[in-house]
Amino acid sequence: MSASHPKNPPGIPSVALLLGWFLPGAGHVYLGKVRTGVIAFLVVEGLYGLGVFLSGGMFLEYLPPEMRGRFSGLLTPEVGNLGALLAHMSHYGYGVGYPRPYPDLMDWGTTLTALSGLCNLLVLTSAHLAARRREPCLGPGPSPTLAASASLLLPGLGQFLQGRRARGLVIAVLLLSLFAVGCFLGGGSNLDRERHFYYWAGQFMLGLPALMTEFAFGHPRLSVEISYADGGVVLSSVAGLLNVLVMLDAFHYAEHGPESECDPIVSAHTATGSIATENKGGPSA
Amino acid sequence: MKDIGFHLLLFFFASAVVVVIGTFFSETDDRRAVAILPRRLFRFFLGSLLVLGIMLICEHTWA
Repeated sequence: MSASHPKNPPGIPSVALLLGWFLPGAGHVYLGKVRTGVIAFLVVEGLYGLGVFLSGGMFLEYLPPEMRGRFSGLLTPEVGNLGALLAHMSHYGYGVGYPRPYPDLMDWGTTLTALSGLCNLLVLTSAHLAARRREPCLGPGPSPTLAASASLLLPGLGQFLQGRRARGLVIAVLLLSLFAVGCFLGGGSNLDRERHFYYWAGQFMLGLPALMTEFAFGHPRLSVEISYADGGVVLSSVAGLLNVLVMLDAFHYAEHGPESECDPIVSAHTATGSIATENKGGPSA
Repeated sequence: MKDIGFHLLLFFFASAVVVVIGTFFSETDDRRAVAILPRRLFRFFLGSLLVLGIMLICEHTWA
């Protein structure tokens, strides 16, 4: 492979993406980054394996019977680690067919399997970027994948590390306050994967704040009806889903930098001062 | 119309967050994002009012 030549990217991005989706790290191995691939495989599958061990492979049993379909499992965060999820669905499915008690560490287990899916999504973005990038035009701060990971860890952190501190702070305040309002309205009942299987996945995208709040105040025993429980779960899910946009923003900025710098024509010719020539004569590859 | 004020407050808060994050996503330059934010908020709430009007008309006409 001629990975170092700027005109020849090291691989086909979609192939790297698909390989890594089914087998974590395979995309990196395909690109010749064996060590990174092996580490990614161990981390992602280790998280999933530990999660299955703690939850007894029962996370799909959270779904009520009327929602159990062939593709129901594919709408979970675990879908980021598709190979493991398919194996899981094939081996455990929806359980034994009757209700049974969950293991003591069920919540931790399902959180870890979901985390495995998200981690692999980040690994996939890294493989896809490595496969398609020819001449990097990177913005300040950490790499695109790290910037997105930082924003997953704490909304706005990726932007903050990129030097866009005001943007990071505004994002953090807005999303965390929206999430807090949702939790307040729901009385913490929104922080429970068993109660709100799919909404929980949306909240999960808010990262560490959502997880910390869940393990501190989630899974409450309810004895009274909560008036705005539905509103609470919707608002907190919207906060998590908006964080996906925040992660994409951090990734895009880290890859392309400020708009004026990432414009290929402007950036290529600012150094040579040949914009006028380019406009008259057209690009010369 | 139970707690209409509270519902409106929640709507304005949630939609303001959605519009601000959407604006940041579409504009990488902070100053430009802040500059177009009022117009975007205005368009969003105007659109919401239109949808509300259409829904009320439909309700009074067919419901």
